[in-house]
Amino acid sequence: MMVGIPRAMLYYRYKELWETFFSKLNIKIRISEETNKKILNDGINFSVDESCLPSKIYMGHVYSLIGKCDYILIPRVVNYGEGNSVCVKFNALYDIVRNTFGNIKILTYNIDMENGCFEKKGFLNMGKVLGKSYLDSIKAYKNAKQAQRTCNRRKADIQNKIMDRKDKLKILIVSHPYNIYDKLIGYPVIQYINKLGGTPVFTDSIDRRQSLAESKDLSKSLYWLYNKELIGSIKLVEDKIDGVILLTAFPCGPDSLVNELIMRKSKKIPTINIICDELQGEAGLQTRIESFMDIIIEKSEKYNCLKRDESDFAAGY
Amino acid sequence: MRTGFLGLDIGSISTKAVIIDKNNNIIADKYIWTEGNPVNAVKIIIEYFRNRVQDINIISTGTTGSARKLIGVMLNANVVKNEITAHAVGTLSVYPDVKTIFEIGGQDSKLILIDNGIVVDYAMNTLCAAGTGSFLTSQAKRLGIDVEDIGPIALTSDNPTKIAARCTVFAESDLVHKAQIGHKKEDIIAGLCMAVVSNYLNNVGKGKTIKPPIVFQGGVSKNTGVVKAFEKATGEKIVVDANSHLMGALGAAILSKRCASEQPFDFNITDIVFRTEGDECKKCSNNCEIICFYKNDIMVDAWGNRCANGDLMHK
Repeated sequence: MMVGIPRAMLYYRYKELWETFFSKLNIKIRISEETNKKILNDGINFSVDESCLPSKIYMGHVYSLIGKCDYILIPRVVNYGEGNSVCVKFNALYDIVRNTFGNIKILTYNIDMENGCFEKKGFLNMGKVLGKSYLDSIKAYKNAKQAQRTCNRRKADIQNKIMDRKDKLKILIVSHPYNIYDKLIGYPVIQYINKLGGTPVFTDSIDRRQSLAESKDLSKSLYWLYNKELIGSIKLVEDKIDGVILLTAFPCGPDSLVNELIMRKSKKIPTINIICDELQGEAGLQTRIESFMDIIIEKSEKYNCLKRDESDFAAGY
Repeated sequence: MRTGFLGLDIGSISTKAVIIDKNNNIIADKYIWTEGNPVNAVKIIIEYFRNRVQDINIISTGTTGSARKLIGVMLNANVVKNEITAHAVGTLSVYPDVKTIFEIGGQDSKLILIDNGIVVDYAMNTLCAAGTGSFLTSQAKRLGIDVEDIGPIALTSDNPTKIAARCTVFAESDLVHKAQIGHKKEDIIAGLCMAVVSNYLNNVGKGKTIKPPIVFQGGVSKNTGVVKAFEKATGEKIVVDANSHLMGALGAAILSKRCASEQPFDFNITDIVFRTEGDECKKCSNNCEIICFYKNDIMVDAWGNRCANGDLMHK
């Protein structure tokens, strides 16, 4: 028995949870390769034009797994309780895949807390589908939950250490994990930042619960959970970072609204909005990040100089 | 022999170059069309300089513009800088108290906000080139006039026609429509200039606070019609320098001077054969397009690869 997991969308959020759950049940998993041009092109072919880039990439990943495993894991996420809904894409992925590829076996679970579909219930059901006993499934789920928590905490600890360092220019990448860690979307951005002497820090390594609580300061009526976590995380760390990059994949609906909100409400830190699309204009990306880094470097240099010696600075600049 | 610093701004449409002295004074400058061949354009410029500035010893070179990397490798430049920083540095050397820079070039437009002599924010047009130099050029062609004449003609109009210029394609059909129902040519041309400005302020300048003094530069700044339209739209005085088209090159030269690492420049570069070759790396399914740069048939650099596989293939 082999379960295929597309390396896209929610994979980056639930990596540990999924991997531990299946390994505790003695089920082999196969994770699709890192996104490459072939996956992207396949994804574009199997999607409608208006789909967003991450969902096109998702379709490419699903396609790359067909024939290589018994089941493909595609969860359906509708909401995490009242007022915490997610983009309809996560709601639709299961049906889109089923209607596009037809003859594949999909392993799924529902998260629709408003209607009583909780994660635990979904996982127990998956265990049943895979022919495992209730006891085994519940044990595996508990282990998986623990593994995810430990992993999140470890990531947060590492990042907090980086954030406390004074000698680095820290650039917060505000984006969904499926953008940040994707080889075609976020990876080039992170590479440029490193090359230009900055240290990227990531929103998904910041405590989710705290971020969510913090987001209420910026907006009380926002309803996308993932975006609430993003805006809250900026607030949490804004005194420790030097710049914010809002990384969006074209044409993300929630992000287009929320980024505007961020740009208007948080004026303290230099912020840019970078939109990635499937056409990949690398030159534009490079120019934008380079000039953004220049702004931050110059600002911090000036700031340091001012602190050091005002007269010295006037003569030397 | 005096020392000089060379700055080049190799844009999509035109290539600009300046040689400055220690005090940032422009000793020589040149502005030519790139014509899709940046290497050749730069060679023409170097040849032009070779005959004119024999008493100057160029000790460093900086490049900017969309072909900055290619030309940077070709000339062994010690500074390769993005357009935003280069333009800001160039303009600040002439107008130290500038707060806002409008820059409209051949294919992109930028807005740079400056506070206390440092860049604090910027914006660039996205995928769309509507409202840039190439938009004006193509519309001028349609109307049967030279792009240089747009400015003077636009100034003669009292009643600019409103043209929908959100997109070049729509602008074109709207323009034809307005001409067919009897709008005067000069009104349409003035309308085009207004359209460029409103497009710029709505797209690039969206949500930014524009404070005077404002400096307008880039190729389109030579168009008096657009300058007037900007003054009307912002209600502020728009400063256009006599060298407004050279600011990027000037900035690149200044940055290379600040860099303080000497890299003597050899005019014989025009005798060397430079060649680029596109290649597709087949080591993984990304199929990156790799550009190899050859100097006298010896490869000196290659770029465009996403991963280390591409490195091995060529170096």
